[in-house]
Amino acid sequence: MGFFDTLLWPFRQVVSWILWAFHELFSRLGMDPHSGWTWTLSIIFLVLVIRTALIPVFVKQIKAQRAMQALQPDLRKLQAKYKGKRDQLSQQAMVAEQRELFKKHKTNPLSSCLPILIQMPFFFALFTVLNNTAIAKAAGEGIGALSPEHVRSFDDSSIFGARLSDTFLATIGSGSPSVSVIIVALIMIVAMTASQFITQKQIMSKNMTKEALEGPFMQQQKMMLYILPLVFGIGGINFPIGVLIYWTATNLWTLGQQFYVIRNNPTPGSQAEKELNERRAAKGLPPVGQKKAEAPVEGAPVIAEPKTQRQQPQRKNRRKK
Amino acid sequence: MAGEPRQPLPALLRRALDVPRQLLILLLKAYRKVFSPLYGDVCRYFPSCSAYALEAVTVHGALKGAGLAAWRVCRCHPWSHGGIDHVPPGRRIWPEGKTPKIMVMNHPPIPPDDDAADAARGA
Repeated sequence: MGFFDTLLWPFRQVVSWILWAFHELFSRLGMDPHSGWTWTLSIIFLVLVIRTALIPVFVKQIKAQRAMQALQPDLRKLQAKYKGKRDQLSQQAMVAEQRELFKKHKTNPLSSCLPILIQMPFFFALFTVLNNTAIAKAAGEGIGALSPEHVRSFDDSSIFGARLSDTFLATIGSGSPSVSVIIVALIMIVAMTASQFITQKQIMSKNMTKEALEGPFMQQQKMMLYILPLVFGIGGINFPIGVLIYWTATNLWTLGQQFYVIRNNPTPGSQAEKELNERRAAKGLPPVGQKKAEAPVEGAPVIAEPKTQRQQPQRKNRRKK
Repeated sequence: MAGEPRQPLPALLRRALDVPRQLLILLLKAYRKVFSPLYGDVCRYFPSCSAYALEAVTVHGALKGAGLAAWRVCRCHPWSHGGIDHVPPGRRIWPEGKTPKIMVMNHPPIPPDDDAADAARGA
């Protein structure tokens, strides 16, 4: 408990404060402070704030992925160069050349992993704040910036008759299962897993290069595509409704974010890039990344003709003079 | 004649003064044996920090070597791009065939690229 909680403490403070601030704002705007909808809206806005703040991190991650991709041909060349040279010194030389390559492309093996590490504490903090309300309420404690009264209000509030602290599993096992909890939880679990599945599916069907699609990791990726939603679906029956709201909201954000990136900034060499270039061609724009190379070729003959026409009368005039 | 009986003393003293260096080498070698494999291939620089430290201490001694190693660790951060970064050469020299293994491993001869060699042949 100790070490992990201490690490998460500042993040939990931030997250709980934002939740508290939105709850306060919506209450001042005339919403019922103890209504589940006020808390639901606060959770959704909390997700919006956190995910907006994390956009630069996401951009960095995309850039790192692109750099790693740009590096692949060089890396393969290097592997071919050292093929069969298994002695220690050759291996060291290969590592040295690899490091130079990473330096040239201004990336490193960890750069696409670092942004994920930065996001982790925020998501953990969010999860623990929303997941621990029942425990904190029982102990009469607050969570971060939320006072014990806030925690109690959050925990007792409900949407469609399902309390934000209720879980699917608990209501099933309680002897008198609440139909509304079961329905709300199931809808949220389906929405949560579906949005995750669609996010992953659109990456795999559109935003991967042919090479990656035929690569050795594809089989694992395909398995993950079906296993991850299953894991979250099964885990979901044990999550309080409040956590399910957060998870669905954040997954929907991810879905939208991925859709935007795939549409406007697809991976070079992917199906999505082909589609983007078709859309650009329909608008009369050159393919992505060829702005300068393509434009003069199209414009050149148009400019060249009037020039020759203009020069001819000039020459005649000069000759006459 | 008067200096002769003193001869063994500087050698002994030199050995005593070498203890910190040997101790650090031992520690670094133990670290590289036990902990480095846990990390895997994560370094931005070549040689890795521990390999750099081992060479630096071996070549420059405990004090300067530790300083060089500390500076290298500081240079490895999320905004650095890494690359090849060798320990600056020191004054210590070793007899033929007795060069410390870390020196050999940290300075592998890099074979020329095949296409570069082809280009040279063509030109």
